[in-house]
Amino acid sequence: MTYAVFILFTLMALCGGVLVVTQRNLVRAATALVLSLFGVAGLYVLLEAGFLAAVQVLVYIGAIAILIIFAIMLTRRMVQGDESGLNRQWGWALVSAVVMFALFCYVVVKAWPLALGAVSAPAVPADSTEALGLALLDWEQYVLPFEIASVLLLSAMVGAVVIAREKHDS
Amino acid sequence: MIPLSWYVLVSAALFCIGLFGVLARRNAVAILMAVELMLNAVNVNLVAFWRYGEPQAMAGQVFALIVFTVAAAEAAVGLALFIAIYRSRDTVAVEEIDLMKG
Amino acid sequence: MAELTVLQALGPLSPQLVLLLAALLVLGLDLAWGEKRRGWLPSVALLGLAGTIVATMSLWGRREVLFGGVFVVDPSAVFFQVIAVLATALVILMSIDYFEGRATYTGEFYSLLLVASLAITLMAGSTDLIMVYLSIELLSIVSYVLTGFMREDRRSNEAALKYFLYGAAASATMLYGMSLLYGITGSTNLEEMAAVLGADAGGSMSWVVLAAVMLLLVGFGFKVSAVPFHQWAPDVYEGAPTPFTAFLSVASKAGGFAVLLRFFLTALPDLSVNWVGLIAALSVMTMTVGNLMAIFQKNIKRMLAYSSIAQAGYILIGLVCWRHTLGAYGGGISGVLLYLLAYLFTNLGAFTVVIIVERATGSNEIADYAGLMRRNPWLAAALFVFFLSLVGIPPTAVFVGKLLIFSSAIRLGYYGLAIIGVVNGVISMYYYYGVMRQAFFLPPKEDTPIVASPPLAVALGVTLVMTLGFLVFAQPFIQLASWSTL
Repeated sequence: MTYAVFILFTLMALCGGVLVVTQRNLVRAATALVLSLFGVAGLYVLLEAGFLAAVQVLVYIGAIAILIIFAIMLTRRMVQGDESGLNRQWGWALVSAVVMFALFCYVVVKAWPLALGAVSAPAVPADSTEALGLALLDWEQYVLPFEIASVLLLSAMVGAVVIAREKHDS
Repeated sequence: MIPLSWYVLVSAALFCIGLFGVLARRNAVAILMAVELMLNAVNVNLVAFWRYGEPQAMAGQVFALIVFTVAAAEAAVGLALFIAIYRSRDTVAVEEIDLMKG
Repeated sequence: MAELTVLQALGPLSPQLVLLLAALLVLGLDLAWGEKRRGWLPSVALLGLAGTIVATMSLWGRREVLFGGVFVVDPSAVFFQVIAVLATALVILMSIDYFEGRATYTGEFYSLLLVASLAITLMAGSTDLIMVYLSIELLSIVSYVLTGFMREDRRSNEAALKYFLYGAAASATMLYGMSLLYGITGSTNLEEMAAVLGADAGGSMSWVVLAAVMLLLVGFGFKVSAVPFHQWAPDVYEGAPTPFTAFLSVASKAGGFAVLLRFFLTALPDLSVNWVGLIAALSVMTMTVGNLMAIFQKNIKRMLAYSSIAQAGYILIGLVCWRHTLGAYGGGISGVLLYLLAYLFTNLGAFTVVIIVERATGSNEIADYAGLMRRNPWLAAALFVFFLSLVGIPPTAVFVGKLLIFSSAIRLGYYGLAIIGVVNGVISMYYYYGVMRQAFFLPPKEDTPIVASPPLAVALGVTLVMTLGFLVFAQPFIQLASWSTL
């Protein structure tokens, strides 16, 4: 059963991904991106990271993917171009991506066993979401990254406004 | 349980799909979408390693949350840039944006 | 009582706090003051940087681990903080007149520049992959915005878009490497990682570590503009507002080196993977390609971009020689630090000249430097000094860095690297001479003299004095660098 679910989510993530990078129509590509992101959220559920799955749906799909769709709409005049969505070196890109994947397979299989049988991992504590929140605020753990992340968001917001603001009328 | 390496292989596949998109797409928004795939591959890795390592230590999940945050900030700035450039020249196809050569 | 301990714990973080407050203050005052008093904002930013330097001085020579190992304060972190603050202060001086009639929102420029400086100070002390990634991204995202700051200028727009696309892809690649490292070692902390990797006697982890290191080098190499991850640099340097180009060439690059040193020397010191060979290869490619491409450039910002790529190549030799710590001032690592400081003054000086000429002629073409000596002899002489320093002629600043790095290479037996470095220095004379020929031997197109405005004159004076008198004025830093062997 778990295997069937795993394969379903994997297919969602990977097929969605392939459509994202090959679809000429960007609106369709963005829809495929949403599909792929849902697949990844499913994998998080399988990995018992429920909170991250929720964040994936809310932030990634709810905000980032929607933001991208907005951008496509706002710059849409070139979306339905006649030419292909790929550039001239796509053949080389394909070769390098496939070679890269082959290398990763080699490295991954060498480091982590493929075998099905004796797979075990410690159980996830019931309060793992709470532990995540505490880790982010713990003085001895990740409070600095947590605070710097807010600086990052503020700077990005200021920056985005500066760049995208309509021309000043003064 | 599903072996850890399966997740890592799925992540590697997703990363390479994203890499292909980055290298092969013409449109800037499409390249950004491919980068999002790569970031998701990273997060699948992080969460899987967290689950199969020590689930009491939250480093993997914290890292994944930070990646979410950065991805959101990056997308916001990126889209602002796309809109600014589109306003000034009606295209976000990377090949046509080539004032500078050398 | 509890508040007291919080304050004590924040003490080592005071430079970052002051920088952050200054950035917020500039942003707030920009809103509160409006058009009229906007001219004061650079002074506010400079005051903030002065405060940061004072806070940094209080950390001189201290070593502390903060936040359970996420962040450290040590001499090399302090050294990079000094570099970030000095570079930012000089760049602010260079910006004051630059934006006249070019961009409206200068308040945001200074505020974001301070955030970029903050990001570099954070990169210098990060000892956890999470923090390393976050601080690199903070610098990157702010840099994309600052590159595209002149929204009405198409080149600026275009440069920002290219920087963004290359940067996002490079950082995602680097991040994948980080996730693999976390997977194989079970930790994101660099010290803990080193312990796990050191205990891996059978070498079962080495394949994953090798893959991860190569992926990480994409991101780090992008930040220091090492070949083959340099393609963004010429376009971005050309299109970005010139003061920010100067910032990218010295401060952002120094931040990249801070992370590079911290990562390799903390997480992988005991050669579980032959990363020294990788860095050496990167160094040779970077020096050679940078110098050869610089020869063909007609735009001075592009030429300085390739020159800056080549300089990254020389500095990488220092990392190759990290084991060398003989003598009080010796050593590859202190060589890297002093090289970066010397390069800061020299290259910012060269860019100050570029800005002064750009303001007078409206152009960055090398051909428009014709007759610079007649239009302003001081400017031509200053440019000559900066170029001497970039080549590494004694007694100028960069000579000190080159001497340390090349002598470490020779002591450790890396003769090949040292020879390639010296040959590259000779090649570089050719393109610097191209500009000098214009400036000294060709007739000017116009006869109007070029004058530097007061802030630019100050920036030029400081960089010139430091470039010529580096050995005299930089003694405290030489001392600090010799403690910074990590």
